[in-house]
Amino acid sequence: MKSMFKRVMFKERNRSIIYSIIGILIGAVFLFPLYWIVVSSLKTDVEIFAIPQTFFPTKLEWSNYTEQLFGKNNAFRAYINSTIIALSAMTTSMILGIPAAYGLARYKIPGKKAIITTFLVTQMLPSSLVLTPLFLTFSKLKLLNTYFAPIFSVATISIPFIVIILRPIFKTYPIEIEDAAKIDGCNRFSAFFRIVLPMSKPGIITVASFSFIHGWNDLVYSMTFNNKEIYRPMTATIYNLITEFGTQWNKVMAYGVLLVLPVVCMFVFLQKYIISGLTNGSVKG
Amino acid sequence: MKTLKLTESRRDILSGYIYVLPALIFMLVLIGYPIVYNFLISFQKLDAMNINSGVREFIGFENYKKVLSDEVMGIAFKNTFIYTIASLAFQFTIGFALALFFNNKFKLAKPIRGFMVISYMMPITVTALMFKFMLSPSNGIINDIMVAIGIIDAPIPWLLQESTALWGLIIANSWIGIPFNMLLLTTGLSNISEEIYESASVDGANGLQKFIHITLPLLKPAILSVLMLGFVYTFKVFDLVFVMTSGGPVNSTEVLSTFSYRLSFKYYYFGQGAAVANILFLCLFAVALVYLKMIGKEEV
Repeated sequence: MKSMFKRVMFKERNRSIIYSIIGILIGAVFLFPLYWIVVSSLKTDVEIFAIPQTFFPTKLEWSNYTEQLFGKNNAFRAYINSTIIALSAMTTSMILGIPAAYGLARYKIPGKKAIITTFLVTQMLPSSLVLTPLFLTFSKLKLLNTYFAPIFSVATISIPFIVIILRPIFKTYPIEIEDAAKIDGCNRFSAFFRIVLPMSKPGIITVASFSFIHGWNDLVYSMTFNNKEIYRPMTATIYNLITEFGTQWNKVMAYGVLLVLPVVCMFVFLQKYIISGLTNGSVKG
Repeated sequence: MKTLKLTESRRDILSGYIYVLPALIFMLVLIGYPIVYNFLISFQKLDAMNINSGVREFIGFENYKKVLSDEVMGIAFKNTFIYTIASLAFQFTIGFALALFFNNKFKLAKPIRGFMVISYMMPITVTALMFKFMLSPSNGIINDIMVAIGIIDAPIPWLLQESTALWGLIIANSWIGIPFNMLLLTTGLSNISEEIYESASVDGANGLQKFIHITLPLLKPAILSVLMLGFVYTFKVFDLVFVMTSGGPVNSTEVLSTFSYRLSFKYYYFGQGAAVANILFLCLFAVALVYLKMIGKEEV
């Protein structure tokens, strides 16, 4: 009996090891493109065209990077623009979205269902639907070629997302917690700031990282509403690079790595929050 | 007493609105108003000639007639559907297979699955250029590997010829979408209790039978929402196509959103661009309605 139990355990462990190996292989094949852009970004102009392709660069060409950052492409400027747009879009969406999520979770207000449905539907809209009207409106308001146009537009993607993620979380808190705070002298607004918000830290981190990524990844709004180079984020400038450099892929990929880097870093540190956000945002609603 | 209660509930409504209204107004101004505006534009003659004059002639369905009789519209429509259906098929089957695999209990299951999701979070601009590079005929690694394995004899200029360009986009989009499908289906799988499988085993069911009679039916809600969300997100594609092919060569990858963008921001036929965008919206709205009805069963 005992030896049989041992054998089952042994089989179990063997299976786990085999699964792990297959799992690593799947992961490696799937994530190969990421490895490939990093490797290619470090190749010399000669090696990038070598046939057959080399899987490790023979000589690391860091100048692909320094050229982007300090050369005439001035990725620095674009980096700053991307950061300004992503951080401002994040702040705007959170200032507006978090209270909305709370209001819709806590209060019985007329038209609540319609409002929630509206937020849900906006997530499914194609950007081309609002592009022309926004272009004309921003043009009238003199907001074209400013940071505001992409920031506001990106916020319209993030606000519904925030409402969809945070509302169910806020709903799980019993109202008694806030009532207790009220007895202790908080009014309903300070109870929200001092009790509810700190409790929802994981949810807040989730929506903050998504709001940032929405802004960082945006191409279409920046590209359409800004035609001045100095306001353009990295997503828009890399698109222009490809025409300028032709097929100098090592330089384009170096720029690509610089552009992906913040997203990868965020992802590594906040993986838990990002993944839960993705599943909740799509399944619930 | 009664009046006190009434004022309290009224105050509740008021505070509720104080929380909700700023976001709602923001969304109405930046999304609601543009949708209505777009609808109006689609019935107006609006192009580079009169954009600044403010005088806009109402021309009824003229824009719609024009775009619908444009042969590119038919191509864009067909491409959008092929792109969506093929992408969904790949993403779903591969995503489902991976979800089933990673649903096995082993140590690395969660971390590996987690890391794969990064393809979904990357800026589409970079993903697009990355695949453009990997699919290039002269030094694309995908061609190299396929030639080495013997699947093809010579490198294929994927994005440069009409017959394969759309498939290049479908490959790239499948890579982006697989983890999303995998993630949602894994969540669905983890909600099915072990006991059902165990009792089925006792009854003598084999693996395939368990999959068909237990897994699939219980996973149906997750499968439907993955497919519907996937449809909506894929159908409105813009960035990927714009960066990888810009609709070319010779319209072979033109989709509804890039066609709309080209009409509006390259030729400045804003009225026609708006009409195409509205047609795209109509298709999406139909699917979105079904989706809303489905999740609407749960408490909102």
